[in-house]
Amino acid sequence: MEYFFEIFFDGLTRGSIYALIALGYTMVYGIIQLINFAHGEIYMIGAFTALIVSGVLGALGLPGYAILLMTLPVAVIYASAYGYTIEKIAYKPLRNAPRLSPLISAIGMSIFLQNYVLLAQTPDFLPFPSLLPPLDVVDRFHGVLSSSEVIIVVTAALVMAGLTAFIKFTRMGKAMRATAQSPRMAMLVGINVDQVISLTFIIGSALAAVGGVLIASHVGQINFYIGFLAGIKAFTAAVLGGIGSIPGAMLGGLVLGWTESFATGYVSSDYEDVFAFALLVLILIFRPAGILGKPAIQKV
Amino acid sequence: MLKLIDVEAGYGAIPVLHRVSIEVGKGEIISLIGANGAGKTTTLMAICGVVPLRSGDILLDGQSIRGVPGNRLVDMGVSQVPEGRLIFPELTVAENLDMGAFLRKDRQGIRDDLDHVFELFPILADRRHQQGGTLSGGEQQMLAISRAIMARPRVLLLDEPSLGLAPLVIRQIFGIIQKINRERGTTIFLVEQNAHQALKIAHRGYVMENGAITLTDTAARLLENEGVKKAYLGI
Repeated sequence: MEYFFEIFFDGLTRGSIYALIALGYTMVYGIIQLINFAHGEIYMIGAFTALIVSGVLGALGLPGYAILLMTLPVAVIYASAYGYTIEKIAYKPLRNAPRLSPLISAIGMSIFLQNYVLLAQTPDFLPFPSLLPPLDVVDRFHGVLSSSEVIIVVTAALVMAGLTAFIKFTRMGKAMRATAQSPRMAMLVGINVDQVISLTFIIGSALAAVGGVLIASHVGQINFYIGFLAGIKAFTAAVLGGIGSIPGAMLGGLVLGWTESFATGYVSSDYEDVFAFALLVLILIFRPAGILGKPAIQKV
Repeated sequence: MLKLIDVEAGYGAIPVLHRVSIEVGKGEIISLIGANGAGKTTTLMAICGVVPLRSGDILLDGQSIRGVPGNRLVDMGVSQVPEGRLIFPELTVAENLDMGAFLRKDRQGIRDDLDHVFELFPILADRRHQQGGTLSGGEQQMLAISRAIMARPRVLLLDEPSLGLAPLVIRQIFGIIQKINRERGTTIFLVEQNAHQALKIAHRGYVMENGAITLTDTAARLLENEGVKKAYLGI
């Protein structure tokens, strides 16, 4: 039973991170029907920024949690600036182009950013400091769950609750939903659609950066390529849950996280990805719109 | 108040509007009637900047609004009820109405207008927590009109409000349009295929054929015009 819970919490942790990244895919898709393939790189850039900032702060001799509290905002702002800029230079000029053009532009952006970090930093794995402080309360359950797992799950839950409240209750959140549902009408009621799109990229990038910093600190190493697999997995999570659906991305992330953890724990870690993508194939066969997605019906 | 001067516009290489001139005076209801494909919707899209002008000009209170982006027009007092209503389907009725007042900051004024809207269309008050997409066609049209007047416009543009609705509902909606004009002094520019209803509530009317204005007169005289009767009123 202890083993089961250990795997359960491992899956919950992975799932929370997938969910954080998947939200960026699903929100952008909801508004401009684009799969932003460069989103995984934003997550990687968030982690790299945190590595650099924490390195500088660490040299000053600050304690781990203080470094974390100062590093996280910097990583979030830096990643958001990247997300905002990518939209402006790679997607906005193609807004009225055929759907395939921005998609190819996104893949190009992803490759560009990977290689940029590869050249500017290093192709090797770099050690990432453990910024998540140990919690005494949690350490009593040693072996079943760790402090960093608890911090990751709780932080992700708080961030997602905040996002849900923002989307549901604020005027800007309503404007985001309105723009996703009918961009032309959103413009006619006075919503600045360009601004809403920029905001969507900024929020998505911020969430990815939070995920990047948390997981890098948990795993302990990063390189320029971590965004690729994390991006593909989070994209899978978004499709699982129903692309365009915000609760769907959260649920899809958790389902994917548990699938991988249980596959690793009870079968073999070699089959982790096999199970993850087999699940995707199954969902797409039996529920093509995803778990919470709605089938596309157009009322005329 | 709203004036189109020799407007030429079209899609890509295809010209649609040919020297269209229309004048909508303050407090008037003006109807633009014409067959399917005559260019009525394109005229509205030209006003709100969705279709760029090739020549001519569009004035609002004497100022050119050529090239002003659509989202800035609401601020200048122009609201639109677009063709096909474009309700936000997954927003509730209340949220749809709140989006109509997106640029307004006067909370008390918004609340007053909400009461006013629920007075005009009591059914919307009953359905305020329901998603917009679950309403019937007639209710959606009521919601679209209400959403537009939540911006407290000086000019209201309506594109085919009768489209796909039952005759009884059409009469009710046109009655409300007339009421909005009378009670709030809102200037109304109505684009319609249903010429009879549109001319009955209008002060003046314009007839459009193949992208050009072919006839303009008072609504009463257009209703008596032999050509209009034959082509649009089915008499």
